[in-house]
Amino acid sequence: MAEEEEYDYTKIPPTGSVEGIAAGAPEDSPRIGVYVCHCGINIKMVVDVEDVTRYAASLPNVVVARHYIFMCSDPGQDLIRKDLAEGRVNRVIVASCSPRMHEPTFRKTCSDSGLNPFYYEMANIREHCSWPHGDFHKEATEKAKELVRSAVARSALLEPLEEKLVDVKPEALVIGGGVTGMYAALDIANGGYKVHLVEKKPSIGGHVAQLSRTFPTLERVASLLTPRMIEVGAHPNIDLMTCSEVEEIGGYIGNFDVKVKRKPRYIDMEKCKDCTPCIEACPVKDIPDEFNEGLSTRSAIYIPFPFAVPPAYTIDAEHCLLLKEGKCGDATLETIKEGKAVPPCMAACPGVIDFEQKDEIEEFTAGTIIVATGYDLVDPGVSAEYKYGVYPNVITSMEFERLLSPGGPTGGKIELNGKEPKDIMFISCVGSRNKQVGNEYCSRVCCMYLAKQAYLAKEQLPDADVKVAFQDVRAFGKGFEEFYGDVKTEGVFYMRGLPGEIYKKPGSDRVVVRGENTFIGEPYEQEADLVVLGMGLAPNKDVKSIISMLKLSTSVDGFLMEAHPKLRPVDTATDGIFIAGCCASPKDITDSIAQGKATASGSLLYLVQGMAKIEPAISQIDEEICIGCARCVDVCPYGALELDEVRHVMTVNEAVCKGCGGCNSICPSGAATMKHYRDRQVYAQIEALTEITDVGMLAELESAATAAVAAEASAGAADTGSEAGEGEGAETEAVPGAE
Amino acid sequence: MGTLYEDMVAYGGEVFGKEHMETLRECVQCGKCTGGCPSGRNTAFRTRKLFQMALTDMREEIFNSPELWFCSTCYTCYERCPKGVKTTDLIRTIRNLAAKEGHMSVPHRMIGVYVLKTSHAVPLGPAQMELRKAVGLDEMAPTAQKYKDQLEQVQTIFKTTGYDAMIDFDWDTMNLKGMDKGGKK
Amino acid sequence: MSEEEGTKEYAYFLGCITPNRYPGIEAATKRILKEFGIETKEMMGASCCPAPGVFGSFDMHTWLPVAARNLAIAEEMDLDIVVTCNGCYGSLQEADHLLKGNPKLKEKTNEILGKFGREFKGTTKVNHSIVVLHDVIGLDRLKEKITKPMNGVNVAVHYGCHFLKPREVRGHGSSETPYILEDLVKVTGAKDVDYKDKLMCCGAGGGNRTADSVQSLEWMRQKLVSAIEEGCDCMVHPCAFCHLQLDRGQAEMNKAFGTDYNFPILFATQFLGLAMGLSEKECGLDIQTTTMPEKLLK
Ligand SMILES: Cc1cc2nc3c(=O)[nH]c(=O)nc-3n(C[C@H](O)[C@H](O)[C@H](O)COP(=O)(O)OP(=O)(O)OC[C@H]3O[C@@H](n4cnc5c(N)ncnc54)[C@H](O)[C@@H]3O)c2cc1C
Ligand code: SF4
Ligand code: SF4
Ligand code: SF4
Ligand code: SF4
Repeated sequence: MAEEEEYDYTKIPPTGSVEGIAAGAPEDSPRIGVYVCHCGINIKMVVDVEDVTRYAASLPNVVVARHYIFMCSDPGQDLIRKDLAEGRVNRVIVASCSPRMHEPTFRKTCSDSGLNPFYYEMANIREHCSWPHGDFHKEATEKAKELVRSAVARSALLEPLEEKLVDVKPEALVIGGGVTGMYAALDIANGGYKVHLVEKKPSIGGHVAQLSRTFPTLERVASLLTPRMIEVGAHPNIDLMTCSEVEEIGGYIGNFDVKVKRKPRYIDMEKCKDCTPCIEACPVKDIPDEFNEGLSTRSAIYIPFPFAVPPAYTIDAEHCLLLKEGKCGDATLETIKEGKAVPPCMAACPGVIDFEQKDEIEEFTAGTIIVATGYDLVDPGVSAEYKYGVYPNVITSMEFERLLSPGGPTGGKIELNGKEPKDIMFISCVGSRNKQVGNEYCSRVCCMYLAKQAYLAKEQLPDADVKVAFQDVRAFGKGFEEFYGDVKTEGVFYMRGLPGEIYKKPGSDRVVVRGENTFIGEPYEQEADLVVLGMGLAPNKDVKSIISMLKLSTSVDGFLMEAHPKLRPVDTATDGIFIAGCCASPKDITDSIAQGKATASGSLLYLVQGMAKIEPAISQIDEEICIGCARCVDVCPYGALELDEVRHVMTVNEAVCKGCGGCNSICPSGAATMKHYRDRQVYAQIEALTEITDVGMLAELESAATAAVAAEASAGAADTGSEAGEGEGAETEAVPGAE
Repeated sequence: MGTLYEDMVAYGGEVFGKEHMETLRECVQCGKCTGGCPSGRNTAFRTRKLFQMALTDMREEIFNSPELWFCSTCYTCYERCPKGVKTTDLIRTIRNLAAKEGHMSVPHRMIGVYVLKTSHAVPLGPAQMELRKAVGLDEMAPTAQKYKDQLEQVQTIFKTTGYDAMIDFDWDTMNLKGMDKGGKK
Repeated sequence: MSEEEGTKEYAYFLGCITPNRYPGIEAATKRILKEFGIETKEMMGASCCPAPGVFGSFDMHTWLPVAARNLAIAEEMDLDIVVTCNGCYGSLQEADHLLKGNPKLKEKTNEILGKFGREFKGTTKVNHSIVVLHDVIGLDRLKEKITKPMNGVNVAVHYGCHFLKPREVRGHGSSETPYILEDLVKVTGAKDVDYKDKLMCCGAGGGNRTADSVQSLEWMRQKLVSAIEEGCDCMVHPCAFCHLQLDRGQAEMNKAFGTDYNFPILFATQFLGLAMGLSEKECGLDIQTTTMPEKLLK
């Protein structure tokens, strides 16, 4: 019939139904309703949905099969609700998109109508069929039928499951004390809950503390940020841990067990008066000051910047002579103890410096976790043609921020080696939007910070020639395009085209930028005494351990991956763990704060309720069969299994188990099975797909079945078009129902 | 014949692979290629513009402009293109297509003549034989220039691929046909 | 092959310019390699590589089998190749790379080579002589043989293009921050001087010299001037084709522009040769256009 003619999807009506062969089946037997979705034309264009519906109606236990243009819409869900209300069906299958997309939707449709949501099953005929097989209408239709057949086989064997609740410890952990982490912490703290804020550096503030003024309003960052930083430092609900890093995290939503290592400052923070005699006394003076991007130096005892929070000094153990070499002047740890010789810093400030301080481990339990670890600047060496590090006139944008900052190495004066530049050139997209350096993404903020920097340069040096070489100007935010206009009317010249290279002008200390002004199609050689590279933002290299501890995933660009790029931007695949700010993707302060606050609200949802649902599709040990060999303990990545020494059988911690199926596949006696993924449910599915009736062969499929479980759960990775991270991160993807 | 882009993908794709050629479409006209191009700052050749012209199918304009031959294939742009456009290989592909349509100068065609005659683009003369002897080498290196059968192998390749016809080579005079008339273009 | 097994033998692919214009390069290279126990074998019947920017620009389908034929000759000798010209390096290495990665192309190419009983198998490796010096012989051993150190000589290094680029085929790391030639210059005691157009093309490649010689000489002039401005005494490079442009080109340029440049141009092995005690004559430096100053010969 349909095969004969050319398939014309426009002829398919928006809806239709066919009575199933089991229409007369008794009430207590499985009565399956199959609902085939067109997804507008996404599925219908390729898959003959009418044909699939007819086919579904012919399968065992199917009472009714319907198709509809949008099953997820209200009228679509009504089809299911109505069939349930009339007692027509007691099992529901929607053949539509990925479970990642709409399994929660349809499970809720079922539970709202009184059906246990685990009687719901999904056949993915979009991501796994119509999308990848767009050119193969006939084959795709056949495949869709097979996927439906497989779902029907499984559906008949499903069991009802009860969702359990766990208590949530009303405290949150925030990792990273940049602007994002600060705002997340403040909202939760102001909401009345305790926050542990862990920052690896001696002060909070992150990169924003280094900035001069902010686009597009040109407000001074110090004056915007300082009050918030002080608030964080003083908040009774915030337990601020600086110079600290998370060592270990275990547990599960509501009950994450956290170990934090607090490194010593060798200063009694209570007593430090935030003065300067110790700095003057310290003989080590030539350490590149990281806060000033190496444009100035500091001593071994230091405060990162004047408005640091907490406002206390730190001794840098890597450079302090006493800590590194065992001796400063005549003093050693021994002489200090004996009360004989003390180092100059101690002499200058008696009673505050304490070299006996050691690493401290702090342990606590947190209900939710927010990761806000920010970004690193891209290494300017990646675009070697711009000669960063070769010519001192070529600096990064962050270095330029420091030159602009009143608290910076030049007191806010734009100068290089004491000289005011006359010709300044800014270059956009350095290390971003560049396949050759491995960063394909746009760093999003550099267009605007370059506009800001160029404006500030022109403001301070009105006679200077200030140019921006760019390829596109992305002025996406509120007031940005207007600001960009202002910058240009102020006299900053925007020249389109990414420069090709930079060389030193022979016999001079100036450099020459070679490029093409693409608007007029003419190459130029532009002399400059200062070139500022608009560096991109890269994933923070330091979060590897956090990624593995929390089993997070990263996207192809290396940034942390959200549960869904559109719909769940600050959630992760694990309940109770959130990501925000630049650790997830480059963004400006406004967006970082918005995300910080979004994660606070996500956390508060759990903290306020004091409860969280946990996934019921987890491991179950049949105590009758378990021989207590404990082999499963070794494979469980979450530590959810414990041997009951008395009864010599394995037990599952239901809150910890994520249902990954590792125990299921290793258990030699077959005692460990997965709820919702019972062997017989999975085998039936495979059997239906492969039409294998030979029972002997089925046994061989045993290992394949486990793989299928994993595949089903990891469908998510393919569906969102993202990539699971390497190693530990990837494992998260294989956890069924980790959402 | 399709559009210039299609022809490039089909023709260059055979040698470099289609993906290599398809990078042309990724060009964002950033100008970084021209920005560091030694030709760009000395001639009217604009790498970036060439790619836009190729994508807009300005075949005749490209083929008829002398600038097409002012790229030294230095690969500077190839190394720096942020989008990974395979610039220099695309330029060579466009040139191949131009040459096939007869856009090839006499001096360029003469290089083929030298190779067909001697197996070398830069042939050996009596003066250079003396130079060789001066540094203690045999007066002629034992390359195909020395052995007729070896030279014939090179000639066979040129005949098989039709390079001889492409440059209007005359096997009788062992020179370009119609040299007296100044060649084809 | 050679590196692992320690066989110190290479098939020396001469190309066109080395044997037919600058035999000094050939002589100096053979002498130096021999000094370190490396034999260079003649490749009987080899032809033009053929010039990658030229034949590659006109007809890739001719360029490729001619290059493959040259590779096949070395394969028949069961030896890896060594070259003294970036054109040869580029052409042969690229052909090898493309043929190895594309079975269809290989089949088509071998159909042509089959007409005269040859076959490209993909069993040889194309090496540049300066890589053999730098990596196979090594700086330490080179240093031992420096008898006439080049102390006080300021050298402008010129890479030529196809030695470094495209880096995905060449594999010598970033083409913006090269080091091999610099190391070879420094090992003689000379100073490697950074200059404005250090990484710029000599102007000759891609048929550019043939298309418009005056224009192509102008590129070269800019390059030379930028080296001279930094007080360089000579230019050291790894490419016979660049040598033609930079050396002969100076005479052509002087004629075309009415200038009188005479900036010494040396192939890497000629420069090393002098430092290792070979004479100007042995390196063929007396039979080229630019003349060597006392500073280099003392
Ligand atoms: C040159 C430049 C100029 C800019 N100018 C502007 C501007 O004018 N306006 C604007 O809106 N935006 C601007 N930005 C963007 C701005 O910097 C970011 O939006 C902002 O810093 C994001 O904050 P964050 O907290 O997400 O990350 P970050 O500022 O990077 O903070 C992350 C914090 O986490 C800490 N951390 C990291 N890893 C760990 C760990 N493992 N354990 C504990 N702590 C950890 C870090 O020490 C840091 O304190 C600019 C960016 C640059 C590069
Ligand atoms: S012990 Fe010495 S080096 Fe260390 S902080 Fe004190 S004065 Fe500086
Ligand atoms: S924000 Fe602008 S400068 Fe930064 S990568 Fe994107 S386009 Fe380039
Ligand atoms: S550098 Fe690449 S993307 Fe930019 S204009 Fe040239 S070819 Fe296009
Ligand atoms: S390869 Fe050609 S277009 Fe590219 S930079 Fe070199 S001369 Fe210019």
